[in-house]
Parts: sequence; structure tokens; C-alpha cells
Amino acid sequence: METMVNGIEHSRERWRYLDYFLNKPGPTSDPEWLPGEQTINSLETSKVLVIGAGGLGCEILKNLALSGFKDIHVIDMDTIDVSNLNRQFLFREADVGKSKAECAAAFVEKRVKGVKITPFNGKIQDKDEDYYMQFKMIICGLDSIEARRWINATLVGMVDTENPESLKPLIDGGTEGFKGQSRVILPTMNSCIECQLDMHTPRAAVPLCTLATIPRQPAHCIEWAHIIAWEEHRKDDILDTDDPEHITWLYQKALARAQEFNIPGVTYSMTQGVVKNIIPAIASTNAIIAASCCNEAFKIATSCNPWLQNYMMYSGDDGVYTYTFETEQKEDCPVCGNLAKSLTVNPNMTLQEFIDSLGERAEAQLMKPTLRTEEKSLYSQFPASLREQTAPNLEKRLSELVENGEEIGISDPAFAIAFKYKLIFSS
Amino acid sequence: MLKIWSMKQQQQKDANAESAAGTKKKKVTAAQLRVQKDLAELEGTLGKTMKTSFPDPNDILNFILTIEPDEGMYKGGSFHFNFAINQNFPHDPPKVKCTQKIYHPNIDLEGNVCLNILREDWKPVLNLNAVIVGLQFLFLEPNASDPLNKEAAEDLRSNREGFKRNVRTSMSGGAVKNEQYERVIGR
Amino acid sequence: MTTMVERTTTPPPLQGPTAKEKKYDRQLRLWAAGGQQALEDAKVLLLNSGPGVVGVETLKNLILPGVGNYTIVDEVDVTEKDLGVNFFLEESSLGKSRAEESCKYLQELNLEVNGNAIQKSTESFVEKPSVLDNYTLIILIGPTKDCSILEKISQHAQKSSIPLFYVHCVGFFSHFSVQLPAQFPIVDTHPDPASTQDLRLLNPWPELLIFAREKTGNLPFQRDHEHGHVPYLLLLLHYLNVWKAARDGKAPANYSNKKEFAAMVAEGARKNNAEGGEENFDEATANVLKSLNPPSISSGLKEVFESDDCRNLRKGSANFWIIAHAINKFHAAHNGLLPLPGALPDMKAQSSDYIQLQNIYKAKAHSDFAEVTATVRRSEKDLDIESPIDDKEIEAFCKGAQFVKLIRGRPIRIAKSTETLDWSDRAGALSMELENQKMMGLESLLPIYFAFLALDRHHDETSRLEQSRREPSPLKEIPGARDVSGAVLPVPNFAEAAHFYTPAVDPETEPKPWPRFDTPEARKTFDNVVKELDRADGAELHNISALTGGMVAQEVIKVITKQYVPVDNTCVFDGIASKTAVFNI
Repeated sequence: METMVNGIEHSRERWRYLDYFLNKPGPTSDPEWLPGEQTINSLETSKVLVIGAGGLGCEILKNLALSGFKDIHVIDMDTIDVSNLNRQFLFREADVGKSKAECAAAFVEKRVKGVKITPFNGKIQDKDEDYYMQFKMIICGLDSIEARRWINATLVGMVDTENPESLKPLIDGGTEGFKGQSRVILPTMNSCIECQLDMHTPRAAVPLCTLATIPRQPAHCIEWAHIIAWEEHRKDDILDTDDPEHITWLYQKALARAQEFNIPGVTYSMTQGVVKNIIPAIASTNAIIAASCCNEAFKIATSCNPWLQNYMMYSGDDGVYTYTFETEQKEDCPVCGNLAKSLTVNPNMTLQEFIDSLGERAEAQLMKPTLRTEEKSLYSQFPASLREQTAPNLEKRLSELVENGEEIGISDPAFAIAFKYKLIFSS
Repeated sequence: MLKIWSMKQQQQKDANAESAAGTKKKKVTAAQLRVQKDLAELEGTLGKTMKTSFPDPNDILNFILTIEPDEGMYKGGSFHFNFAINQNFPHDPPKVKCTQKIYHPNIDLEGNVCLNILREDWKPVLNLNAVIVGLQFLFLEPNASDPLNKEAAEDLRSNREGFKRNVRTSMSGGAVKNEQYERVIGR
Repeated sequence: MTTMVERTTTPPPLQGPTAKEKKYDRQLRLWAAGGQQALEDAKVLLLNSGPGVVGVETLKNLILPGVGNYTIVDEVDVTEKDLGVNFFLEESSLGKSRAEESCKYLQELNLEVNGNAIQKSTESFVEKPSVLDNYTLIILIGPTKDCSILEKISQHAQKSSIPLFYVHCVGFFSHFSVQLPAQFPIVDTHPDPASTQDLRLLNPWPELLIFAREKTGNLPFQRDHEHGHVPYLLLLLHYLNVWKAARDGKAPANYSNKKEFAAMVAEGARKNNAEGGEENFDEATANVLKSLNPPSISSGLKEVFESDDCRNLRKGSANFWIIAHAINKFHAAHNGLLPLPGALPDMKAQSSDYIQLQNIYKAKAHSDFAEVTATVRRSEKDLDIESPIDDKEIEAFCKGAQFVKLIRGRPIRIAKSTETLDWSDRAGALSMELENQKMMGLESLLPIYFAFLALDRHHDETSRLEQSRREPSPLKEIPGARDVSGAVLPVPNFAEAAHFYTPAVDPETEPKPWPRFDTPEARKTFDNVVKELDRADGAELHNISALTGGMVAQEVIKVITKQYVPVDNTCVFDGIASKTAVFNI
């Protein structure tokens, strides 16, 4: 370290521990892997995206910065709430109300010299494929299934076999109480989030009629206030579950109903929990899952050891229990089971002619196809009203209905799975 | 990273799959594809007592279902249900509401519907057909045992004939027990 | 009825949460106010060494939820390479005490926590081990300079009943062992809500039977609405009577009996309705297998009942034992029943029927609790105990008796370079672990633990050899070191040393072909781990330290709050395969 030949050598002293793994192979690292400068260089130039700057996201940003990544982007649309402070350790009381992405990025950038963190305060859906294409991989710390499904479908859709760099590994973590899971998804190569959708247990719901007429539990009274009473009395206010006045109103309604039925146990905290669907969250579980995700990101980016195939579940309720296994890709997965294929078409062809041609295609003879783009219903066989509304399209030329390169989705009663084509206009 | 790309190239070679040109256009979403499929499968169900209408034919996630029972005590009525499906379908169930104020033990005055598969028993393997059949059934067999409109249910339980009369009154836009209902009888 | 008068009362006071409840909301939903108080009363000591990241990361996860007090003991000053792996340091920390600097940046996470730093080596800090008595929990980061230090801390913690965590984190692997007090009982284990709880349908009490008769006496003549809302518990009681009447008073005892009984219950449902069945009857049949079991107790509780501390109370007996003793008496007096927990699962029912049933269960639970309390009070009197045990403690035990757990803390194994490890009673179990994993086609992670022991042993040896160089002493006593023509051999590196000292299981205790550890599979894993640890050369990878810090913090929280069930007693993590394993060592 003292022999500072040039700036670069000096700066590696800081990364001495990391370099043991980047400069030397281990007994289980890939025999074809070349440790050393190239690996270090590739790690430092890999641009990675972190989705979520909450409980997992804060940990992920710290971990990536201390794993040698230098160019990190982070997206989050939320602002900091006081109930985040028991685990989202990059935020302080004075930060309440500020953007999570911006605050977290600034903190880690300041703490870890030489790392660049670019925040985006907004939704993942605000960004397009061009944006996602710039990253080497994506690490998710999300609490929403919908957002996971969106990014998963986007990344699967981006895979272009002509361009290996279009394949973006997706590493996903999630926690609840003392439990959590991490998984590695190589879009189109192994089981994707949509393939694993049934692993997310749906939120338990109580019949509406129980809420309306025969409540038995405090949660029934709260759900009644939430779903029925609010609409009856405050239809014009949009319920804001972060507004204490709204929660207090629901709490008092629930309490009155509970008293009417002699049901004990309605509290303010329970009201909040039921209405906001609060999932317990603690720093230590986030630490475990985020670090597991980043450990996989590090192994993938450097090849210094093999990575997770492809799911680890963790439970700390009773001792420590993990189950690491490989989830299977689903053949009929609506996202990765049938990827979009390019189809060269004459843009002057009418939609009717195009539909006729589909009946003659070798891979699937689509005799009664219904077709759409993201934006438009092109033609529907059924229901009748939709068929009538879309029938005029049959006479239109393809160029009037779709853009060159646009994707269309086709379903046909004869096939369980949908077909996707990218229409390429012949010149 | 290089490792993954070479694995992918290998996999590609093995599959000899057709290649797709990169584009930046928006993709048809999983929810849209699923709804498109579900709608196509309604063919055997809708028939003459039910129909759908799409205020915006390009948006198949939002539509109106009209049920016109040809038997039972709600015969002759025309009942509208608004279907709102989000991008998390089929993980989330469709949100269904009756847009009229009607006198029915399983539908409250706000239009909320008590149907198990719309809430507690929803599963992603269920489809729109199951929901629509369930709704239709509510008009053939209103269920007094698990009501959403308690007064209507008590009415049905205690005096079936009286209840039938009240249903007719409500359907023609009359008042039942001080509550005014919307006229739903045909055009 | 529809005319509403606008009431002009002042709004009731907002019974909203306090600032603290807001901040800790997401964790209070796990361990509640009692757990939080325990956390805030705790004083945690971190004895840090090596790169020291895993210790700091553990503390982070304890400070955020509000542990009362933490102290970092660390000898070294911050160097350049610390900044590449430890998040709780800044550029300006270079050259300053690592204990003080980490303490400062950790403190920022939660101002309600009291942090201290002591710049000392672990060995000088524990020179007088009584200093450890100032803390309620110790986290010791391995390896220690030599095994005598580990031994000293372990022995003192045992003597003072202070929980001790011994944590190692090197490269892609980590290990921690938990040394709990000899008796570590947990009442609030948070069992899985789906686990069976006794609703005592086979041992109903008069109030329950009266209510059942009231609601099911005229079952065939009930109106549909009533019939479809009889709580399933009462349906089961009703059909049990029918069943027993035809079978000399015997309840369904085996699987085929129960299937038959379930079919009989299902037969009772009315099907001439819109749904073609009744939900309460569906619930009843679905619960037959679960609800009609003769009372039994868990193995954990059995162990408690059978222990000498439970049978023979003494003047100094812990509250746990006094209550366990009373519950054991209850159990004996009531033909194997435990006090009724009193909770009732949700079920299809009219609100008022459900609430009435709930009250019947609560009342019974309360009378059982009163009976246990009476026994406790008698014991207190017999033992001349002045301050009575809090009712709440007795009540919690009554509610959770079935799931109570007693962990018997064991001393941490110490791999001294001068001795062979004595596996004594664990030899068979450990060898079995290797065999079982092999039979299931899996790779046991036990060799990872052995590799960490070998690492400890190597450090112990290195330290001894270095010491012996300074003060020439008869080298012959030290295995592995040979005196060749008076010259001292260089200290072997870890990878070489590990092979000398692969811990073997004692052949005396289990007369099988030993060492069983030396199976080709286990040897291969061991060799790979050793090579990987050698590659790391003592370095920590931040991710592995952060992950291990998360695991250790979870366990520390469980030990401090006495909620959930901590690891008993050794856990390893493999960051290459992304797997963990727990061994009782």
C-alpha cells in the first residue's frame, strides 16, 4: 500500500479483502473463469439497478456498494414514514417525508467513496425498455406482487437472442416477520416470477356477508368499516390509509360495531394493520434476505463462485430453517412459456387477410383467433358486442392498426396458451 | 455475466428458436392476454340472458355485464354489473359491482356483491366465466342464509311470497320499507 | 328510523399510537410490548476481532429495533481495508479506534440506544472475567487469539448464566454457536397458528354440553337458516353423542372410525339449497381428524414435566418451574388434560352464538387458570416465597403450555491444539447426521463446522508456537510441531494444519468403524471448505457478514425476548450453495 505506484494500486488496498476472491480461484469456482483484472474491471463497470429503497432496498444498496459495484441506480416511488425507521437504516427522523430513493442514494454515496448511485423517484412503469436495457442485472426488494410481475414480464420480453446482453438476471427478495425468500431468475432460461406465482399465498379474505351480517372477530368489524361503512358515509372522500383522521374514523366505526355485537379486541393498531394490510418487518430479516440477494448478484457478476439455483426460503420462527431448491419453468407460463416471435408481414395486407394466413401457419393453426396489441383490441371473436365493435378493423390494412415491430397477442379457443408475434413490416 | 450469456447462446442453439427483433413498443400484458382468453371462453355462457358491453372496446379490462333473467323472481329485469380488472389479474379477483340500487339479499344498496369467488374463494385458476355464472345464479337462487342486505334476507326467509312481491315492486322503481329502488324492468 | 339527528358531541380523544409505537409498529406486531421491554432492558457486549464486520452488522440489527445498551470491545485502529468492508466507518475514521468509530456511526441509527466503545483486546478486557457480569448477552467474534480466551469467556458465561454467541465469518462461510444457560425455558414460542389446539371435544364440561344441547337438540326441525349456522364445534359434540350412544359410549378412536364419523356428520347437512350443502357442516367434517384426539402433550412439555426441577421444587426454584409444577399437577388431576388455552378459532356462526361459545371457552380457561394459580400459591407458601408470581406469567403459561420449550444450554466446543476433541454423547448423533444426509443424496454441511473448529485449532496452535519462540519451552509437548536439529519449524498454514487436526469422533463411545466423519463425501466437503477458507485468508465478504449478522441478530432477539425458538445450538451458512444447517453439538 505504501508503494503507491499509481492511483489505481493505491485504491485497491481498500478492496484487499474482496480481491482475495477476485484474484484467486476457489475449489468450486468455474474452471474456465479468469480471475484478476478482467473480473475486477467487469464488476466495476457493471451498471446495476435496485428496485425499491425500503427495508430490503437500503440493505441492498449498502451491500452492493461494499461488494465492489460502482454504478448503481435505484428506483422507488415512496416517501419516508416514521414506521420505516426501525429497519430502513439509511433514514433518520429528519428525513420523514423525503423521497426514499434520493435519500438512500445520497447516504450510501457519501459513506462509500467512489460509488455512484443514481436515484429515480417514481414508478418502475414510468421507464421503458431502453432504460432497463442499460443494466447488467436487476435486484428487487419489493413488497408488491404486481410490480414484480411487471418487471418480470418486461425483462422476459426484452430477451433478444441476437444480443446476449439483453438477458438481465433478476434477483428478487421478500420478507415477512422472521421469514423470507430470495431467488435468481434468468429470464427465459429458468423459472420466472410468473411461473412461481402460486408460491405467493393470496391474502386471506372473509366473506362480505359475514362482514355485513354476522361478524364474529374484531377484524370482521374493521373490514366492515373499511369496505362497507366508508362507502356508505364518506363515498366522496378517497380513503387514505396514511391519514390518521381516516384511520381514526374507521377505528371508531369498527369499535362501535364491535360493541354492538359484544366482540372484544378492536384496537387502533389492529385497525391500521387490517386496513393497510401491514406485514411485520424487522431489520434482521431484511439483512438476511438482502445479503443473500447481493451475494448472488456478486457471484453472477464476477463468476467467483456458482450462484443460487434458484430459490432459497428462510424461516427463523423456530430455530433457523432454510430450504434451497430449484423451481421448474412452466411450459404454459403466460410470460415465459411462449415468447414473442418475429413475423414478417406485408403492411398492406388487411387484418382479415392476416387472420386467414394465421390458419395456415405451421406451428399453430389458429382458426378462431382473437388479437390485440397493448393499446388496441384488433379483432375479437367473442363476445358479440366486442366482435361488432372490432369488425370494422378486418377491412383495415395492418399498417393502419399496428406499428412496425409492435407486439400482438393472439388467443384461440383451441390453445390453452396465448401466442405473441412481433410484426415486422416487409419493405 | 459472460457465463450466463454463453449459457443462453447454448440453450438457444439447442432449441434452434426463431429470433425476435428488439423493439421498444409496449407489450401486451399478462392480464390482458388472460382476459382476452377468458372473454373468448364465454361463448357458451352468455347466451340470450346475458351480454357484455365495452365502453372502450380497446380496454377489455373494464366492461359491463348485463343479466336479464328469463326465469325466477327477478325475471324481466335488466341488471348491470361493472367489471374492473387490474393488471394483477388473475392473482387478484375482478372487482364487480352492481351499478343499480336493487333489492336483493346478496347485493347491498351500494352495489357490493356477496359472492364467494369474488373474495374469499378466488383463485387464479378461476376465470371470468365462473364469476359470471355465479352472478347469474344469484338471480335464480337468492341466498337468504348469508345476506349482504339483511332486511331483504329476513324478508325472503320469513315470507317468500311477500318477498317476491317486494322484488317486483323494487324492480319497477317502487319503494320497499322506505327505501326507493331503481327501475330495472326492460325496455 | 331513517331520521338521523346530527350529534354534536366532542370527538372522543384520539387513542392513536405513541411516537414510539409508531416507530416500532412493524416489530411490535411480532414481539409486542413485552418483547420490546425485554429488548430495551438488554445490555449487549460485542467482543470484536478480525475484520469485525459481522459483529457490527449484528449490532446494527439490534440497535434499529431499540436494544437498550451495547458495548463494542475492539483493539485495533481503522485501516484502509476496513473502509472497503465495514459500512459503519467513514474516511475520517482512518487511524482512529475502530471500536469508537463504529460505535459512533451505529449510534446514529437510534438515539434511544446507549452505545459504548472500549479500545482493548478481548484478552485484556476479560482479564478479570467478572467484567462480563455487567452485560446480559455476549457476542464473541472468532477466532480468538487462542482457545484459552474462548474457554475463559465460555466458562464465565456459563457460571453467570449469560447467553453467549460465538460467531465466525470467513469468506463465503459462516458459523455461530449459541451457549444458553443450562436451563432456558420459553413459554411464548409463537406456534404456527395452524398447529392443533385442544378444543376438548372429547372432554366437554357441563356448560359446553348445555349450550350444545340448546343449539342442536332440535337439529332436524330447525329452520334452514338456523341449521346452517350451528357452530361446527357444537355439531361435532351432537354427533359424538349420537355415535357414542350406538357404541357403548366410545368415541371414534382410529382413522377408519373417524372417517366413518365424518361421513355421518356430512350426512346431516341439508343439500336442498342453492349451494347444495352447508358451510358449517363442511367445517365440521373437515375438522374431525384434527379435533377428536385424546389429550396428549408435546415432547417439549413432557421433558419439562419429567425433569427433576419440575418434580422437586426448592427454595430457589425459578418461576418457570413453580408454574410447570402446578400445571403438571393439573395434568395429573385431570386425566392428562392441560389447562384450556381458551382461544376459539373462527367458524361459521351467528355473531351471538359465536360470542356465547367464546365466553364459555374463556370462562373455562379462567377457571383452569385459577386452579393452577391456587397450586402455585400453595407452593409459594410451602417454599416461603415472599413475592408472589405475577398472575400474567401464570396465565401465559396456561395458554401456551402445549408449546412450551425447554432448551438445555450446552458449553461451546473448544478445539484446543493440545487436546483431542471429546465428542462424548454427541458422537453418534453427528455421525448419524452425515449418514442421513448421504442417504437422502444431500451433502451435509457439518464439515463446514469442522472446518471452523480446525481454524480455531490452527489459531490456537499458531499462538502457542509464537509464544514458544519468544520463551523457549519444550516443544515436544506440542503435537504437530517437530524439533528438527534444534530449529523451529515454520507455522504450517491453515490448509496444511487442517488435515492434521480433522476432528475425529471418539471411537470409545460408539464402537463403529471410526472415524465416521471420514467418509469420502464429508472429506470432500471438508477439503473444499478448507480451501475456500484458505482463499479468504481471514477476510470477510460484506454480504456474508451482513447475512450472518442478520441471522445472529434474529437469534439474539429471540433469546432476549424469550419469544419464538432460538437455534439449539450451532448453525452454519454456506454462501456458495445458499444453504444453512443447524446441529446440536
